[in-house]
Amino acid sequence: MGAFPQCFYHMGCEEMSYTTIKKWRDTELEKHDASSQALNVFHDSVMKKVFETALKKQKALHGPPPCLYSWFVMGSAGRFEQAIISDQDHGLVYEEDSESAAQYFIRLGKELADGLNEAGYPFCDGNVMSSNPVWCKSKSKWNEQLSKWLKEESFESIRFLLIFYDARVLVGEEEYIFELKQHVHDYTNQNPHFLERLLENTQHVKKAVGFFHQFLTETHGSYAGSIDLKQSGFFPYVNNIRLLALKESVNATSTLSRIEELTKLPNYQRDLSWCKGEFEKLLHYRLQYHKKMTENYDDIHYLDVKELPKDEKKDMKQILLNGQRLQDYTQAVIQGMMRK
Amino acid sequence: MKEIMFSLNSVWLVLGALLVILMQGGFILLEAGSTRMKNAGHIAGKTVFTFGLASIVFWAVGYGFIFGGNSNFFIGLSDFFYSGDQADGMPYSTAAFFLFQLAFAGISLTIAFGGFAERAKLSAYLVFAILFSVLVYPVVAHWIWGGGWLAEHGKQDFAGSTVVHLTGAMAAFAATILLKPRIGKFNKNGTTNNIFGHNQVYTALGVIVLWVGWFGFNGGSTFVVDDGFFGFVALNTNIAAGAGAIAALIISWMVLGKSDIPTILNGALAGLVAITASCAFVETWAAVLIGFVAGILVFYSVKFFDKLKVDDPIYALSVHGAAGVWGTLSTGLFATPELAAVGKPGLFYGGGFSQLGVQAMGVSVSALYAFAVSFILLYAMKKVMKGLRVSEEEEIIGLDVSEHGNYGYPEAFITNEEKNRIAN
Repeated sequence: MGAFPQCFYHMGCEEMSYTTIKKWRDTELEKHDASSQALNVFHDSVMKKVFETALKKQKALHGPPPCLYSWFVMGSAGRFEQAIISDQDHGLVYEEDSESAAQYFIRLGKELADGLNEAGYPFCDGNVMSSNPVWCKSKSKWNEQLSKWLKEESFESIRFLLIFYDARVLVGEEEYIFELKQHVHDYTNQNPHFLERLLENTQHVKKAVGFFHQFLTETHGSYAGSIDLKQSGFFPYVNNIRLLALKESVNATSTLSRIEELTKLPNYQRDLSWCKGEFEKLLHYRLQYHKKMTENYDDIHYLDVKELPKDEKKDMKQILLNGQRLQDYTQAVIQGMMRK
Repeated sequence: MKEIMFSLNSVWLVLGALLVILMQGGFILLEAGSTRMKNAGHIAGKTVFTFGLASIVFWAVGYGFIFGGNSNFFIGLSDFFYSGDQADGMPYSTAAFFLFQLAFAGISLTIAFGGFAERAKLSAYLVFAILFSVLVYPVVAHWIWGGGWLAEHGKQDFAGSTVVHLTGAMAAFAATILLKPRIGKFNKNGTTNNIFGHNQVYTALGVIVLWVGWFGFNGGSTFVVDDGFFGFVALNTNIAAGAGAIAALIISWMVLGKSDIPTILNGALAGLVAITASCAFVETWAAVLIGFVAGILVFYSVKFFDKLKVDDPIYALSVHGAAGVWGTLSTGLFATPELAAVGKPGLFYGGGFSQLGVQAMGVSVSALYAFAVSFILLYAMKKVMKGLRVSEEEEIIGLDVSEHGNYGYPEAFITNEEKNRIAN
């Protein structure tokens, strides 16, 4: 890790602002983009710095936290799969179920969202942030909310559940999240049909390889000639592996470690052994392409396939086709389980 | 018996004329659906007045140029301001025949205006409606149907793949080149934007109205009801349209990964346009094949014109142009000895290349004439009328307001203040 500005280590330093963090992030970023692993370790450290600053501000205004808590990230950050640019997805869970605690942590959540935004992690369009009461709750309220989501089975509640399932603790009590996830595992073990409902939710995938083995690129608009790497490349891997992890009560959150955990189980050893390498390649390629162009958040989802060397084109097609294969496999596993 | 047949034939021709005139309604739905709300009233309304203009011009000179006596290499020169007189020996009412032919001239003009959509001034429609109906359509129609030089070569074009569709499409091509693309169609980096039509239901309904109207277009072109041959023509017409829709669905699914609705609709129309020339000359299996090829051709043609940076909002160039060319050539391949009442059998029926050659020559000369004359006329109009196109501001607010002072969909555009005023 590169040298942090001195004042960061100096308690009570006035200049320890989000802007300083942003500057440091921007200059240090390229030292940490050799691999997705290194990049995500770096993102974690930036987000933790933002948390320190936010907490300090909060303490100065409203005193110390009234109870134990945990701050967790979700989305690509939760899965340890952030690209160079990512928006923010995070939440808070705290011990004490009281009005005053709720008020304290929602203020902290607001500070965190603003801080992350200033530090280079844009606000989440879907409002999945600790500043939103939906994602900032006491342990008992979180349990109630999860039960509601599980029983509701609506489009939105399922989306929320799947987002929550990628939660990874950055600061505070790790057990809180494990306990909450255990709640989800218990429910799905007792209600296996729920997995089928989740399967439906992830069935729609934007195909990127066509009948003639050609890339199905955007035909119109400013991304004409590109494929949507997020929707067509990442989603099939991320969503299907998450679903299998949920089925097998695997606690890991990154797609790679979920694959690792799954392949330890006899059923998956043979069928998923190919998967890890493909996903690693996908992460690697995205990082390589995006070092060249990181102008805005939308850009990073698109990959101009015309620019690729021939062997990479072939490789990318194989990765995309294997994503479709994983989709079929997951469907067969879930539906096979239902028939038993 | 002769009188009964005369009456039946005349009824059949007027029925055909009604169906073809109804196709204007199909075009209104097709064009309005394929374009944006702010231009809907304009696009629909202008079709009515340009058809009115075309009717008067056809009565005054168009009919005489095509079918008149004293004809030369170029045009006929009698029967101007047609009085409704019965021509000697005609086995049906000449007035019914006139009406039927008038309807065709109107369709060709409406196709030409496809290339004008969403950016041409109303006055450009008015002037070009007259010029096209005097100088473009009647000449090609005379050459092929009025006993002109291509008719003497035995050019096969039963109901007008060349005469009506290709002629209209070539004028549309000239117009779209001179008008230039709509604002926002092409990006600086060379990519193309999809300017979505505002109502796919209208567009699909338009296709079905046209499809039904086509039974008048092709079936009516038998002119007579003897032997019920029009039934066979209608059969070929219908299966070609079906094959075109299926082919377009398949090709868009294979190439784009999804079955694209506008492509499917274009495929049905392309099948209809292609079978128009050949519906009376080919066997049913060939009709299916002709329609199928047209459905694939129209898909690639749309891509091709996009690549050329030609903005063709209603796909007139691909549906009526590309498919019109293919349809005209198809009789040179598939015309059978029994059915080829005009010209010779096609390549696959022992006719060799001679009919195919006639078709190729006819289609090229007709296309070239229609394009060149339309281009010259429009170019002259552009100079004299100080441009064919509305201003940038007018294009952005929409032609409903800029050209007519009224919205096709008022509730969608008027301000809340105005809404309140009306409510109180």
